[in-house]
Amino acid sequence: MEHMGLEPGRLHFSWISSAESTKFVDVAKKVTEEVKALGSKDKKYVKSKPKVA
Amino acid sequence: MKAIKIAKTEFKAGLDKLESAYRLYGPVKEKQYYTFKALDKGEKPDLDYTNTRMSAKSLIYPQAEVTFEYSLDKNDDDYAILKEPAKDYAPRAVIGIRPCDADAFAVVRRNFETPEYQDPYWLSNMDATTLVGLACNTPPSATCFCTSAGSGPFNDKNLDVLLVDNGDHFLARVLTEKGENLTRTAGWTTAAENADVVIESGKAASEAAFSTTVHTERLKDQSLIGLYEAEAAIWEKEAFACINCGTCTYACPTCWCFDVQDETYGKSGVRIRNWDSCMFPLFTIHASGHNPRGQKVSRIRQRFMHKLKYYVDKYDKGIQCTGCGRCVRLCPVNIDIRRVCNQMNSYNPESCSCEVTS
Amino acid sequence: MTTYIDKIKEISKRLLRDGKVDMVIGFRKGSLPMMNQPMFARNEGDVDSFVWDSSCGVNLANYVTDRSERIGIVAKGCDSRNLVVHIIENKIKRDQLYIIGVPCTAMIDRHRIAAMVPGEIESIEENTADGTITVKGEGFSETLNKADLLQENCALCMHRNPVIQDEPVADPVPEQSPDDVDRYAKVREVESMSPEEKWAYFDDLFSDCIRCYACRNACPLCYCPTCFVDESKPQWVGKSIDPTDIRTFHFLRAYHCAGRCTDCGACVRSCPMGINVRALTKKLEKDCLEQFDWESGLTLDKRPPLDVFRPDDPEEFIK
Repeated sequence: MEHMGLEPGRLHFSWISSAESTKFVDVAKKVTEEVKALGSKDKKYVKSKPKVA
Repeated sequence: MKAIKIAKTEFKAGLDKLESAYRLYGPVKEKQYYTFKALDKGEKPDLDYTNTRMSAKSLIYPQAEVTFEYSLDKNDDDYAILKEPAKDYAPRAVIGIRPCDADAFAVVRRNFETPEYQDPYWLSNMDATTLVGLACNTPPSATCFCTSAGSGPFNDKNLDVLLVDNGDHFLARVLTEKGENLTRTAGWTTAAENADVVIESGKAASEAAFSTTVHTERLKDQSLIGLYEAEAAIWEKEAFACINCGTCTYACPTCWCFDVQDETYGKSGVRIRNWDSCMFPLFTIHASGHNPRGQKVSRIRQRFMHKLKYYVDKYDKGIQCTGCGRCVRLCPVNIDIRRVCNQMNSYNPESCSCEVTS
Repeated sequence: MTTYIDKIKEISKRLLRDGKVDMVIGFRKGSLPMMNQPMFARNEGDVDSFVWDSSCGVNLANYVTDRSERIGIVAKGCDSRNLVVHIIENKIKRDQLYIIGVPCTAMIDRHRIAAMVPGEIESIEENTADGTITVKGEGFSETLNKADLLQENCALCMHRNPVIQDEPVADPVPEQSPDDVDRYAKVREVESMSPEEKWAYFDDLFSDCIRCYACRNACPLCYCPTCFVDESKPQWVGKSIDPTDIRTFHFLRAYHCAGRCTDCGACVRSCPMGINVRALTKKLEKDCLEQFDWESGLTLDKRPPLDVFRPDDPEEFIK
């Protein structure tokens, strides 16, 4: 994904078991903060309407 | 119909004048190949070109086009109502289209404008467009076979203006009211004497130089069932190499099939019409899951039968092909419609054989 | 390499005559310069149409999946690796195939050649003796070095000789090594760009894509009965030419080929718009080599890295 131009820091991987609820909360909070800090870049990574004729 | 002469300097000046009244499109070189695109202010079409890689089809019939918009927000007044999107049908002109591509529009019109149904999107685009064609003084490519496919290097039946490059000037035939309006706006009004003589001799010279032809004279009389069932003689061999991509259908100016898809994002969405290809395996899949053309050989057979037999029988106006040669040039595995056409034309069901002429 | 054809024909005819195979897949002369058409021969008469030259870049392994016949197939190095992948993935059985191995000396890129001459090419002649190709058209005849005309993947190829074969048509050719050629030079160039530059690079690369799927269909690895882009319920990717959808299609397709792609170049060769589809797959190939020490299609004995789990698999990116 990074090779294609996605900014580093937007994609995170984590192993979390269903028994690790506190870890899940921590990771979710951390990822949300980190991605928010990167900004929306005019939403260029998100398609909201097809760009066609 | 009248003939005019346009000096090349006058031609450039005329294009500048046209910019205020028309959105201009023309062939432009991008990287290695030519393509039709909307010309920027001051940008000139490159009329030194042979032909574009993809046809001019997308100028009238875009590859992906929004046909409706809708809102899924229950609070909206127009909730769940299909609305026509705003479209721009301001006048536009295509400068330098080849006769084969212009003739293709006439072939396609038979499908999109019938007594029962008219395609409003295609027709609105077509009506807003003035076609200024450029004759082919020499065959653009060894793969061009327009002269035997119902078109020709100087064919002007489906153009509004035909330009013929004559050295330091163009000779032009102004053929329709749209053409009149355009040439008047551009200031191209100098009459040309003896233009017809020059144009006709250029046409004869160009047509004589075409090295590749297809034979179509027996297609109408061939038995449809006979051709359809010629699997061992024709279809299995031709179909083997095919990889079922959409290249031939997308490049072809006379192919018209499309798919309709809805795309919804949150509380609003659009209905889009996309080009589709009969070569794709899922083209004919039914809601039940049955696919009548699930096999590759059925799809290949269908494509060539459609272009060279069904269309011939239905409209009696020749084949659904204008000989532009793009499918021949672009097919990744070199499936050649000229070869198939000649096989279909010469096929003899009794002896279950056909002459492979190339 | 043009002398191979006699051996190819001899082997093919023998196989059909002795009833060892039901069909032999090869090439016949195309109707355009630098193009050949895949064909199948069911009898010795058909074999006479076979040709072999430096325009046989189509990957014939694309035509064997899910077939029930016994098939003779003319295979270059990359084709043979794809046959290995097919066998590992159960798309064909080893004993159905009689592989006619061709030690390949690289295929030429017709678009590259067309850009080097002033007009339309009418014919080409390969001069195997001195490694040149004479390209002729109206008003020109140019003799060029074959080494300058190669498909990009052929110029970087490390596996010219078939890795699996039943009968070779000639002695093996010398292989290039990573010391002669940096396979991943272009990938490194992109890796060193900033994220904005990378995004723009791929935007530009895919800007001409018309979703014809020639790349997908020419690829021997893409054999899914229903490709993810063709699904409607649910629709994973839009079907129009919206740039995000185009990028998603290419990106996901590359991912499906990760650890399997042999860089045969069929995708680029088949693209009508001349897009270098390999830009993503080459990066994944590099990652597989560096992280898993894996090159696809070299042996029937090992399963690919994305197919197996080893406790020592790299995972420093998982937190």
